[in-house]
This record gives sequence, C-alpha cells and structure tokens, in this order.
Amino acid sequence: MKLRALTAVVAALTVTLVGCSGKATEGKGEEQDKAGIKTGPGVSSSTISLGVLTDMTGVYASLGKSVTQAQQLWVKQINAKGGICDRKIELTVRDHGYDPQKAIAGYTELEPKVLGFAQFIGSPFVAAVEQRIDGKDKGLVLPQAWSANLLGSPYIRVVGATYDIETINLIDHLLKEKRIAKGDKIGHVYFEGDYGENALTGSKHAAKEAGLTVVEQKIKPTDNDMTAQVAALKQAGVKAVVVSAGPRQAASLVGVAAATGFNVSVVGNNSAYAPQLLKTQAGPALLKDYYIASSTLPIGDPGDGPSLLAKQYASQYPNDVLDNGVVAGWTAASIFGEALDKACDNKDLTREGVDKALLTIKGYGTEFGVSHDFSDPAAPSTRESVIMKPDATVPGGLKVISPASVSEAAKSFTLK
Amino acid sequence: MSDTTAEAAPLVTTAPAPGGAESFTDRLRRPRTYAVLIASVLLLALPFYLDRFWLQAGLFAMAAAIGAIGLNMLTGATGQLSMGHAFFLAVGAYSYCILAGESSTENGHALTGLGLPTWLAAILAVLLAGAAGGVFSPIAGRLRGAYLGIATLALIFIGQHILFNAGSLTGGYNGRAVPPLSLFGFTFDDTEVVVAAVPFGSSEKLWYVGLVALLLAALFARGVLRGRPGRAMNAIRDHRIAAGVMGVPVARYRAGVFVLSSMYAGLAGVLLALVFQRTVPEYFGMILSLEYLAMIVIGGLGSVAGAVVGAFFVSLLPQVLTHYSDSLPLVSAPGTGGLAPGEASRYLYGAAVVAVVLFLPGGLARLGIALPRVTRPKKSGEK
Repeated sequence: MKLRALTAVVAALTVTLVGCSGKATEGKGEEQDKAGIKTGPGVSSSTISLGVLTDMTGVYASLGKSVTQAQQLWVKQINAKGGICDRKIELTVRDHGYDPQKAIAGYTELEPKVLGFAQFIGSPFVAAVEQRIDGKDKGLVLPQAWSANLLGSPYIRVVGATYDIETINLIDHLLKEKRIAKGDKIGHVYFEGDYGENALTGSKHAAKEAGLTVVEQKIKPTDNDMTAQVAALKQAGVKAVVVSAGPRQAASLVGVAAATGFNVSVVGNNSAYAPQLLKTQAGPALLKDYYIASSTLPIGDPGDGPSLLAKQYASQYPNDVLDNGVVAGWTAASIFGEALDKACDNKDLTREGVDKALLTIKGYGTEFGVSHDFSDPAAPSTRESVIMKPDATVPGGLKVISPASVSEAAKSFTLK
Repeated sequence: MSDTTAEAAPLVTTAPAPGGAESFTDRLRRPRTYAVLIASVLLLALPFYLDRFWLQAGLFAMAAAIGAIGLNMLTGATGQLSMGHAFFLAVGAYSYCILAGESSTENGHALTGLGLPTWLAAILAVLLAGAAGGVFSPIAGRLRGAYLGIATLALIFIGQHILFNAGSLTGGYNGRAVPPLSLFGFTFDDTEVVVAAVPFGSSEKLWYVGLVALLLAALFARGVLRGRPGRAMNAIRDHRIAAGVMGVPVARYRAGVFVLSSMYAGLAGVLLALVFQRTVPEYFGMILSLEYLAMIVIGGLGSVAGAVVGAFFVSLLPQVLTHYSDSLPLVSAPGTGGLAPGEASRYLYGAAVVAVVLFLPGGLARLGIALPRVTRPKKSGEK
C-alpha cells in the first residue's frame, strides 16, 4: 500500500514540477537583426561564438597548444580590426585530453552555444559526433585531422590534402629525385588506426602506378623504438621508407637506420616531424636525408604569409615553440573567417548560411603556398603538397625544397 | 498540467486510510521517506530542466555507477582486485553494436552485424560479457588479490589489440556507430518527441533507461550483498581459509563473483555505448579501469551506495570543473596557460583518494550513512 502511495506522490510532484520547466520549446529558431542579417545559434547582435575542441593534456598536447594559440591570435587580430559583420569573434576552448568521454561531453556542451567549430582534434571523436552534425546540428566543423574517412560530410570539412594523397605526393617526389625506380621495394612504417591506414592506401596506390612493392610495418603509437622495423626493412632490401607515425617514431627510425649504416631516403607525413627532434641524437641523421610533406608552407618560410605569422606569434607567445601547428591553426581559423565574411555578405549568419558560404570559397590561402577549394564536400580542399626538409637554422626547423604541386598519381587517385 | 495534478491529488489523500496505518505513519515520521521522495521526484523531473550536457554527464555517471557496483562486489566485497574491468565494458558495448547493428561498410571496413532487435541485443550483450568473465573464471577462481590484478591487466591489452585490429567486427580505430535502443516500438534516438512542451532528444529519453537500469542493478546487488552470498564473499575477503573451513566453496564463489561483476560491466558498457552513439577503442584502456578502482575507493569499498557515490564523484568532477573553468579560482581556461581543468580534476581526485584513505576509511558513502543513524536510533527494533 505505502509503496503505491509513495509512487503516487512522486508522480504528482513530478508532473507539477515538469509543467513549469523553462526548457519548454521557446523560439529557438532563426532571427533577423536590424541590418536584415539572419542569425541562428552562436550568433548574437554583438558576438559570433566559435568552439574549439582541442587536446592540451593528452597525446597531441603540443599540436593542440600551437593550433589553439594560433587561433586565439587570429581572433585577437580580427577583433582589433572590428570583427566580422560588426560582431566580435569569441572562441570557447575545451580541452579533452584525447579522452572520448570528455570530447563528446565537450561537443554536447558547446554545440548549442556556438556557430561552428574552428578546431576539433581527434578523428575518432569527430566520427563519433558525425551523425549528430549531419543530422540535426549542421554546424561547420574544421577537424585538425587529415584522414580521408572524414570526407563526404557537407559540414565536416578537411583543410588540406588527406594522408593518402600526401603519401602519394611523397613517393612521387622520391621517384622524381631518382631515389627509387620501377621494380624497387619501399618500406612503409605506419600507425595502426586511421592515420596510418589511410596513408597506406596512398602508398599502395602510388606503388601500383609506379611498379613498386610496399613492405608494410605496422606499429602502435606506444612503440618508440624502431630497431626491429629497421632490421626487417633492411632484410627486405627496401630502397626508401615512408613513415606515417609520430615525430618520435620518425626520429628513432632515421636515427637507427643511420647508426646501422642503412642509408635510405626516409619520407614522412606532416605529423611525423617536430622541430624539437633536431636537438636529439637523431638530429644529424634527420638533416641528411629526411623529407616531410604538408599542405602549408612551413612557419620558417621566408614568404610573406609565414614570416608575418611567425613574427606575430612569437611576440604574442615568446616562450612557445614555432611549429607547423601554428600555420595549420591559423589557416583553419582564417578559412572559417572567410566563410563568415561571405555569409555576412549574403546576410545569412545561420549555420546553413555559413555552410553555403564555404562552398563558394575557391583559390583561398595562397599566402601559405597552397590554394584551397571548398566547393566539393567529397574531396579534400587541395591535392597539393609542399615537400620540406629539416633545417636547424630556421624557426620551425623546416625549409621548402619543392613548392606545392600535385603528382599525376595523386590526380588520378579516387578517394574511397 | 493542472488537470493531471488534480487527478493525482485524491490518490495521495486516500492512500493512507485503509490498512497498514501503523507502519505507514511510522514511515511518514522518518526523514528517510522524504529524502527518497524528494530524490525520486528530482531524478524524474531533471530531463525537463537540464541541458543535454548535464543529462549526458548524468548518464555517464549512471553507467559508471553500474560498472562500479559490479567492481565493488568483486574488489570491495570479495577482495579480488581486477584491472580488467574496462575489457568487460568493451565486451558489452561492442557486443551490443555487433548484435544490433546491420552489416554495412564504414570507413573502409566491411562491418558485420546481426541486426537483432535492440532490446534483445542489449540483454545478449550483458550475457556475453558474463560469458567472457566465465571464460576467464578458471583463472579468477584460483588467483587472489594482487595476483588476479596482474592477470587481469593482460585482458586490457589483449582487448585493445582486438578492438583495434578486428576491423570487420569493431570498425577499427574509428569504432562503429551504435544503433539506438528501441523498446516496444519506442526508439531512444535523436528524433524529437515533445513531452509537456519540452523537446525530448536521445539524452532525455535515455535518462529514464539509465535510471531504471541503475535502480535494478543496485537493488540486485544489494540483495546479493545482504544475503548469504554476500556474507560468504566477505568471509573470503577477510579470511580465505576460515571461509573454506566453514564450508564456503572459495574457488566457485570467486569465479561466480567475477562473472557477475563482468555482467555489470557489460550492462554499463551497453549504456555507455548508447550515450556515446559510437564505440571507440581508445576509451577502453587502462585509465578507465583505474578510474573504476578510484570510484570504489573514494565512494566506499564493499557497498552499493559507495560505488554509486564514487562513480558520480569521479565522473562528474571533470565535467563540473571544465564547465565552470571560467569562474573557478586557480583553474584557468584551456589555452591561457596555468592549470587546465583536466589536470585540475586529476589532482583533485588524487587528493580525494588520499583524503578518503586517511580520514574516511569507509569512503564518501560513510558521510551519508552517519547522519540517519544519529537521527533515528530506535531503528534497531525493525527488521
């Protein structure tokens, strides 16, 4: 009896409480401001809020820090110029430390409050919320990841060439330089997971086009000593090695290869290098015969874009390292800004308006060496890669040896 | 709204009249009745008020609580240390996806799915997690304490290796999508259902699933711990040989508790998967197992309440700190230098573990129990 009474009381109270909820559907839809500009979530009459989901305490901490600070610098400069559409830009940063639970909680927290995300580190997490982005949220997300798996969504847009295309361009560079020729074997040391497997698709395609054989060596992000891999590749008689791993693995591989007298060219994706490596024991070996591909000019490039950014970043954050994360973050933020500018011209600052505005951006970002085209959601914004070489004398530790170009094999490569 | 209250009101007033008046009025005098009443009303009404962010945080905490109850039965009540809890969570989460999902191609992996009804898949996933525990039970039955901890450590590494590499089942690095739960034709997904003018998305709907699951899990565990098996488990923890002499089949009990605790982990895994909407192998690592251990130590070893309190503490703390990082002293917004909220919460629960071990050997749950004991000393007359 008492149980039933208790249930009834609970039910009655609940119904009463529920009736006066403030969460009840209010006019959450689109509004128009005085100038006739349509606005939606994340946009008020004086601010535009953008979200940043980054990793500052986890495995990508150094990348996350550079990217986020570069974006904060961009926001500061834009606001000093008066903002976009007479509104100040506001970044809300959430650090997820590469923990899925925190990443998804961060997205859920920020999503109702922001127009879109200028940064989202961690492709598994982007994939986890993809359903929600494509389904109901429809906010523009610029992930800091270059996996081809992220392509195809009209709202999640990869800035730069994907890992597969980058790898094809790297192998093409080796072919052009006559380091390898038809019939040769090349080694590919790659991380298990998205990044490495996507790069492997690229190297297999390039190998097929050029008549090469790929010797695969799969590693885990926790493997730091590449001695076994070098021995295996030496045994297999490879003429060159592709590294799709982290900076530590690349340094170990190049260092061990040099120490054991295994003189081959080593090429790596953009994530396989950090300027700090030059101060390690592997430094001299890296300076000798190691090449990196990326979709932007390095921060130490004498060109106008990078040198100006390097100067401003260094004056804002004097104690922090200049690396390619700075350029990547800046590029992503400025592309978001460009889309906002266009959306403002179209008098539509809603999420749909920004998505549409991005589709009209072509030939953007040339001051960083690569031109981006966002008109096709199924394709990466570019197929070009800049080939670089470590250099201890410039900030960021990289200099360009071959400007942005796209190889024949990368042009013919069909994604997915 | 006013109609429904009017209907419900007479029920309340007429209820106490017939029969059982004594025990009922007795209960009415107890503060506990009101605490339960207020708590249940609040829990039921929360989805109508809170943002999706807080509901999701609450759901994570509920899932963690279910998992922690399981671990507390094993570690707290029976004294068997397990580092492999994350593995069983993964078994639950992934089994649900595989059983309920359809075969498809995603991220370059041809995914296998059996396409079973989702409620059946959820139950089977829990059973499968139990079966996985059963396979390990010959080891779990023979090893004790820290030795079992080391043996179960292997499970995490084996588990993660499989999760990353069995692409056609698990989707590899990027995981696989979780099919939304569907019960009697009602689907717990993001399609909006408007209840009392409040739009209900997946978090609001799942909230009630989480509540029911947690309630059942807690009641069952309380039954086990308070009954004969519970006493046998405590006996094994306190003195294995004495328990054996008294006729407790030690190895069988240890194996049995291990299976039960893996089933709890499996249920927690299913709920987590439903909240995440995608299972990611990265998550089911050693840190997760350690977090579960932290939960039961902070909350209080050996009791259901302890596990629940600990789970809420450990899983809500980082969320609260991040959310209010702008207004908290010492904690700075990420990107501005200084102590990041993620780090701050780690320090805090490190400090909490130390503080609990030093000053509250019974865990945070002791704080709650101490109060009612003082306020109602005559309880001993009751059963």
